[in-house]
Amino acid sequence: MESARASAQDLALVERLRAGDEDAFLHLVDALGPSMRRVARMYVHADAVADEVVQEAWLGVLQGLHRFEGRASLRTWIFRILVNVAKTRGQREGRSIPFAALAGDDLDQPSFDPDAFQGAGDPSPGHWTSLPFDWHGDPEARAEAGELLRVIGAAISALPPMQAEVIRLRDAHGWSSEEVRNALDLTDTNQRVLLHRARAKVRRVVQDHLGSVSEA
Amino acid sequence: MACRDIVELVSDYLEGALTGGLLADVEAHLAACDGCAMVLDQLRETIRLTGMLTQDALTDRQRAVLLDAFRALPAG
Repeated sequence: MESARASAQDLALVERLRAGDEDAFLHLVDALGPSMRRVARMYVHADAVADEVVQEAWLGVLQGLHRFEGRASLRTWIFRILVNVAKTRGQREGRSIPFAALAGDDLDQPSFDPDAFQGAGDPSPGHWTSLPFDWHGDPEARAEAGELLRVIGAAISALPPMQAEVIRLRDAHGWSSEEVRNALDLTDTNQRVLLHRARAKVRRVVQDHLGSVSEA
Repeated sequence: MACRDIVELVSDYLEGALTGGLLADVEAHLAACDGCAMVLDQLRETIRLTGMLTQDALTDRQRAVLLDAFRALPAG
């Protein structure tokens, strides 16, 4: 299991940043910036304010590099600074978003369609009514990869913001569960529930898309 | 456990977060149930596809503002 501590690469990057290496800084900004912007936006009321929060966070990062000890990965450390700045700014705006608004208010509901399973009066309650649609037999699935990715991207963008960010950081960017928990200030349980709901939703969207294409 | 319960555990299963008797029960079910085994495969495929998404890009302006701030910092 990947460690959440800073890697040798992280430490080398920090040295380059402290030496004023612009390429290193832009590389980091490009890699993390869009995610930082989305996370900041969860705590403040406007896009322009989110931009300011991100700028302020980067300043805090750059001014604080000498304090980076490597106990967490660099990107986790950066996100903790970001979330602190975002929360402070949000509080100054008098804005307090309930977790349910960011995470989705139906986290205790099943992530899979209950209608896919047999009910109390059926022969095998809780078991599949019929086999799920088989993706592997579908030649369209290969040819449609570009369109599928567009559909997946749209589905993720439509998720509650915390679910969207958890699935992006974990599955699109390859962060570990510990990194995501630390970066977004989530409990282990929260992170797993958010990830599961997001993945189940995306799976359903892919299934619906493949099903509609094969019927065309 | 029935399929309806198993599918709610597949992400935890993939995470390696299940242990002991629960892990054994889920594995036994997956070995015996085509439907749930398919869902597990589909979830793996979903994760693989999500991994292919390209990153959004910052605007040139956003990059420029940050680069200016970087350049304005004292060295070290």
